[in-house]
Amino acid sequence: MASHFSGALQLTDLNDFITPSQECIKPVQIKKAPPSKGRSKIEITEDGSYLSVDANSGKSTKLQKAEITLNDCLACSGCITSAETVLVAMQSHEKFYEVLQENNSTSANQKKVIVVSVSPQARASIAVKQAINAKNAALALSIFFKRLGASFVLDTTFTRELGLIKSAEEFMERYKNKEKMPKTLPMLTSSCPGWICYAEKTHGKLVIPHISTVKSPQQITGTLVKELLSKHYGKTPSQIYHVAIMPCYDKKLEASRQDFYNDVYATGDVDLVLTAGEVQVMLENESTLLAHLLNEKDSVNFEVVQELKPTYLSNETLLNHSGGGSGGYLDYVYRSAAKELFGVTVDKIIYKTMRNNKDFREVILKDEEGKSLLHFAAAYGFRSIQNLVQKMKRGKCPYHFVEVMACPSGCLNGGGQIKEDDADREKQKHILAMVEKVYNEIPTTAPGENEDVKRELDNLKDDSERTERLLQTQYHAVETDETLSLNVKW
Amino acid sequence: MTPTLECIETIQGHNDRVWDVKWSPNGMLLASCGTDKTIRIWGKEGNKWVCKSILQDGHQRTIRKLGWSPCGNMLASASFDATVCVWDKRSGEFESSATLEGHENEAKAAVWSQSGTYLATCSRDKSVWIWSVDEDGDFECAGVLSVHSQDVKDISWHPFEDLLASASYDNTVKLFKEDDGDWISFATLTGHSSTVWSVAWSKDGSRLVTGSDDKTIKIWRRFDPGNMEGVHTSGEDPTWKCVCTLSGYHSRPIYAVSWCHNTEMIAAASGDDSVSIFQEDLSAGDRAEPVFNLICRVRHAHEQDVNAVTWNPSVAGLLATCSDDGTIKIWKMTGE
Repeated sequence: MASHFSGALQLTDLNDFITPSQECIKPVQIKKAPPSKGRSKIEITEDGSYLSVDANSGKSTKLQKAEITLNDCLACSGCITSAETVLVAMQSHEKFYEVLQENNSTSANQKKVIVVSVSPQARASIAVKQAINAKNAALALSIFFKRLGASFVLDTTFTRELGLIKSAEEFMERYKNKEKMPKTLPMLTSSCPGWICYAEKTHGKLVIPHISTVKSPQQITGTLVKELLSKHYGKTPSQIYHVAIMPCYDKKLEASRQDFYNDVYATGDVDLVLTAGEVQVMLENESTLLAHLLNEKDSVNFEVVQELKPTYLSNETLLNHSGGGSGGYLDYVYRSAAKELFGVTVDKIIYKTMRNNKDFREVILKDEEGKSLLHFAAAYGFRSIQNLVQKMKRGKCPYHFVEVMACPSGCLNGGGQIKEDDADREKQKHILAMVEKVYNEIPTTAPGENEDVKRELDNLKDDSERTERLLQTQYHAVETDETLSLNVKW
Repeated sequence: MTPTLECIETIQGHNDRVWDVKWSPNGMLLASCGTDKTIRIWGKEGNKWVCKSILQDGHQRTIRKLGWSPCGNMLASASFDATVCVWDKRSGEFESSATLEGHENEAKAAVWSQSGTYLATCSRDKSVWIWSVDEDGDFECAGVLSVHSQDVKDISWHPFEDLLASASYDNTVKLFKEDDGDWISFATLTGHSSTVWSVAWSKDGSRLVTGSDDKTIKIWRRFDPGNMEGVHTSGEDPTWKCVCTLSGYHSRPIYAVSWCHNTEMIAAASGDDSVSIFQEDLSAGDRAEPVFNLICRVRHAHEQDVNAVTWNPSVAGLLATCSDDGTIKIWKMTGE
């Protein structure tokens, strides 16, 4: 079976076939009851639960079941064989229907507020499949999710802009400190969860200090949604249910990270991630065509929460950023750095494609004598990631900044995008070209020019605690324990 | 006179099981590797094969297979420590010149393309990697192919084109080529009912031989679009079809096959301690149904499993084998 995960993740032992369960090293914590005096035995009941039966009294106690969650799997250096199974059960469109159904049948004060945020890449994929343009897709998707029971349908481009601006800030900081502090440059982007998972598992100590601390648009949206809406409604964050629509399967793993989990309220910033492909399945299941939904725009109510309003997915205020379908991190940071550090206004970025690899491109800003001032690269696909990491290992990495994405061609070609069955390479290329075209239908704006973004940034200016909470995160090297490998004797 | 395979020398040296033997491209040197984590280079002095050098400290665990570069100056070693080491003897002695990291776990084979442009590696992590050398002389990754669903056991380059065949625990053989800068899989050969341990090309590159855990040897043929036999093809890609199955000759898995590019004979090494030699009967059969006959068999070629077998590229009928019994043997075909 072909895995849905990106190539980088597939290689990190997602489905190790030889020694899965034996290598599962997660120490399962079980609250121990005070040991009973005398002997007891364990019985298995018909429903599969375990009972401890005291030999003297005959009293039986139900034993706690040891459960391995997706988080355990991700935090583990052994197998993550169970990840895919756990994932399928925890983050599927069936799960979304379940939540919606449950929500419809509970009393008003118990109801969760359902929020759906849609990434522009997933939106473009759905638009191509549904044969409508980008603006109509935005409107129709928001109608579709409202009809299902969502109170808000958002666009993650707004939060991406916050992330782009924060990334540029972080880069300037690193650049200025590059002599004083080791391992500051190159700065590597952080929005691709496949890349992050691979980096943490395989090259932790080497790579992590280089990874940007800026959260991905999905997770910035997650924090913003739970914060604003729980305040607005006077509800706990766990009463807000946030679904993200993404071009990528690995985003499900990102949403499950411990860093994005609130222990107090036992809730994540993003509760569920669905791919463009899964949304298409939902549309097919309900025999819904997005084009038909456009006629119903007056039938759904759009509640307004002023502070969240700029992020609403609407066909009128769609934002886009230059620099391609993976978010435009290189594009914006390069322009900002050229301007701020060297007073150069970059008109058009001309990339040089590396030998034999269209997924590894670089751009150099040179001074009048031809000396390199800024050296940026975009490394897409697992192969490019390998070469980047090997360059870093050999101490031969000339770059200041690298936009890293696990999928060849970047996020528009993400593993969660809608696939045509048995499409050959030509057909796949054609679909990707169409998705790129639809994605680029929305005119671009320079980050920081949008009034609402400016206001949000002003709000954050003197609140470093909130800035950090909203926009930044951290990474953890996964220690591998050599002694656990069963084949170590060879 | 019936052909016989005569053991002309038994070479001791490795301290444990020997996993692989490979002749240098000019046939003058023999490289071997094994569980003792060393590589030994053997050369002939007078009538005796002697150890010319021992390459050690390159790997932390078992060295599974070796591959010579077509120029004979480089040797690649694939190890269970997940790395591939490249050894360079241009300075006179073999020196470790690069360590290729990237495989998630045990590397199983490393082979240079005939053009010398690419080095391919494969691993238990189910992937096949293609490496090339960049402007600085460093190895860079040109492709990661994760199309097998299980452990990849062996890989082999086409004798003159940049085409690669891979054999896997998923019972299939896959073929790869470069297309617009990307390496892609363009054919899957199904037919074996268990692990395919070994794959090798015929001299003209139109056929493949595979050895499997299902105790059979299969010959596969390429049928181009518009072929005379009327075998169905789609698009520009040829169809690969099994044209011959050799079964009943071995009682245990076939771990290695080698197709001689001088005599066109096929040698097979098995877990039943034996080595067998097959030859095509050109007077019988045709392209679509060739006939191969067993012409020679050594039942107790080694004390234990025979792990590798390889024809000398320049001396016709000269064969090397190695085994779990810790020895390497040199054989000579006589009486043809």
